[in-house]
Amino acid sequence: MQQTLEDFYKVVRAAGVNISPSDSIETSRTVTLVGYRDRSILKSAFEVSLAKSLPEQDIVAECFDRFFYFNAFDTIEQLGHEQKNSPSANADEAVPVPKDEYKGDQPLAKMLLDRDAASLSTEMKKAAREVGLTDIWFFTQKSLYSQQIMQKMGLRDLQNEIAEAGKGECPGDGVGDALREAKDYLAEQVKDFVEQQLSMYGKNAARNLREEHLQSAKLSNVEQRDFHIMHHLVLKMAKRLSTQYSKKKKRENRGQLDFRKTLRHNAAYDGVLFETYWKTKFIDKPRLMVMCDISGSVQAYARFLLLFVYSLNDVMTRIDSYVFTGNLIDVNDVFDDLPVEQAIDYIMDKHGLGGSDYGTTLLDLEDQCMDDIDNKTTVLILGDARNNFLAPRSEVMQLLHQRAKRVIWLNPEPENFWKTGDSVMYKYRPYCHLANTCNTLEHLERMLDSLLKSATGTV
Amino acid sequence: MKTLYQDKFQSVEEIKNRFEEAKYICSEQIATCVYIAHNLQKPVMVEGPAGVGKTELAKTTAEILDVPLVRLQCYEGLDESKALYEWKYAKQLLYTQLLKDKLGDLLEGATGLRESMDKIHSHEDLFFSESFLEPRPLFQALHEELGCVLLIDEVDKSDHEFEAFLLEVLSEFQVSIPELGTIKATIKPLVFLTSNNSREMSDALKRRCLHLYVPYPDEKLESKILSSRVPDLPEILRKEIVSFVQDVRALDLKKVPSISETIDWAKTLLLLHSEQLDPAMVKQTLNVLLKFETDIEGMRDHTMSFINKAHKRSGAQ
Repeated sequence: MQQTLEDFYKVVRAAGVNISPSDSIETSRTVTLVGYRDRSILKSAFEVSLAKSLPEQDIVAECFDRFFYFNAFDTIEQLGHEQKNSPSANADEAVPVPKDEYKGDQPLAKMLLDRDAASLSTEMKKAAREVGLTDIWFFTQKSLYSQQIMQKMGLRDLQNEIAEAGKGECPGDGVGDALREAKDYLAEQVKDFVEQQLSMYGKNAARNLREEHLQSAKLSNVEQRDFHIMHHLVLKMAKRLSTQYSKKKKRENRGQLDFRKTLRHNAAYDGVLFETYWKTKFIDKPRLMVMCDISGSVQAYARFLLLFVYSLNDVMTRIDSYVFTGNLIDVNDVFDDLPVEQAIDYIMDKHGLGGSDYGTTLLDLEDQCMDDIDNKTTVLILGDARNNFLAPRSEVMQLLHQRAKRVIWLNPEPENFWKTGDSVMYKYRPYCHLANTCNTLEHLERMLDSLLKSATGTV
Repeated sequence: MKTLYQDKFQSVEEIKNRFEEAKYICSEQIATCVYIAHNLQKPVMVEGPAGVGKTELAKTTAEILDVPLVRLQCYEGLDESKALYEWKYAKQLLYTQLLKDKLGDLLEGATGLRESMDKIHSHEDLFFSESFLEPRPLFQALHEELGCVLLIDEVDKSDHEFEAFLLEVLSEFQVSIPELGTIKATIKPLVFLTSNNSREMSDALKRRCLHLYVPYPDEKLESKILSSRVPDLPEILRKEIVSFVQDVRALDLKKVPSISETIDWAKTLLLLHSEQLDPAMVKQTLNVLLKFETDIEGMRDHTMSFINKAHKRSGAQ
């Protein structure tokens, strides 16, 4: 039974629930306690001990239903009966099974002709374990595994039997045909079984592969249909970054007595210092201001950059988000009120796709936000700096550089394009603490990691 | 006297029945979870919306096991001195004042500072003994000789520091007090942690617990709960109330009514001698069910259709 449990953990893990070794030990103890008698109790037991949150609980329940679902060979009784109904076959000949006529001792053939669903299913599972079916992870492996399982169950002998039985008999008659038909049925069942297993074990593998690919793919090449996977990836990334860095840090300065506080609190004890208070120092969360270009020239990237800003907005409290083409637009409310896809569509519809004008945007910034920017603020600009030959207003960038803690520019274009055409990146660059190319998720993550590290002062 | 783990529950079914006798109607999952927790002595993390009976679960468990319930309410800023123990400063101070004369007797014949010091040292550290210790819930729970049910309520409201401290307590069931040494539980308490999900708890804490999510009950369960809690309620009215509340829950509301509110509403209607839901009565008593003015406003359009549906389902009219 232990093997079955381990297989089940494998399925649950593949579905994306983290199960540590200690979890699996505890769960095995739990299962020993509740036993296998009552299906629903067993299911609840798995749910409470494997899952750590509500979504995980649903996943475990689903895995349970699929894993402990036994329907292999349950249609075996119908085998042979179909012929009866078909007009071409002679009813007397086809069934019942010509059991007596079969004199061989090949176990698989016997089981098939006896319609022994239970033994067949056991044999199949045994064979599956021997060939390591739990390692299946891609759909192209389906026929390979099916074939291997059939071989283990004794396909070759069965075929010999069929050939043997077929000798000297008219086609459509006797054991040979019954066996041939049973073999096809077996093949079908094994295929079904392998498919079921693939959908359990391979569920996450295929997705992981896809995610890996998406992470290093250029953002402009990512297709619309992968948007939700991207969203998932970006959210995961944003969450990781924010839990790592947004924690409010309270550090106690042991050794520095806060005299005023101590005296005040100990007045009740006649001035005898029973309770001591120490000076503490708070390190505040970093303040982040994000400006995202959504003009026509960065159209391909804009959705993903917005997606990222949205996710960051979700997980960090002290963040101001703006978008711009020609003017600076505050989108904090939109992000707070609408779900991600709607928010992005709304912003793109309402403000997107104009020609960008970095000059006026920077002037807007000076007007609206310069007072809020102090030496704790990190300013993050996402854009290609293609200014349509308008005035770049780099003096505002200079001011920004002086006031803000850090100014970071992420440009989707590679560095050797920064001086070509209408790009004014080379003018802004001296006023950025960091200016980098960023056109894949990996770039984005690496950049933000370094950004947040310095923003919280952990480096 | 029986201890906490002396009586083992034989089966999940038994727990369910015992809970029912104590007027707590629970789903199979809840019963299974309590069964596992009691047998394997593991803490349970109970999650779910407000008012579905998370706290009640711990109370009822204590009741049927016949052990005391120790409750620790968490809030932001809760620290060890509020959760575990504190020295009774005032008492210490008072005693030093009262015993001043005795100190004089004690030190009689001693000459010089060193000799006096030695004399004091030869006595026990009386002022830092258990009689000057103010036990707080966690300390109490560890000290309970027959075991107890420890309810750590709304653990999500506490700080990260406290959560880390809780880890130590929950895995070893022991705490160290610098002045007294390590104190270990004689019998591990049965721990329930409740959380409203106002913040994500750390994985380390989750891993040590069984995870139980208590959702809003379905129609059948709610009807059963209602008949157990408000037994005088006429059957037709009960069915109507349940149907109505289930419909209300499907709406987009600021605060969705939970079981406790359903029970309150049923009691209210019983007090007003209603036989059936009627629009005027519902309108007047809706504030028992819904707690926000905007929600009550939003309900206005739906009231009639929900009542009609409830009538139909209960088989009246």
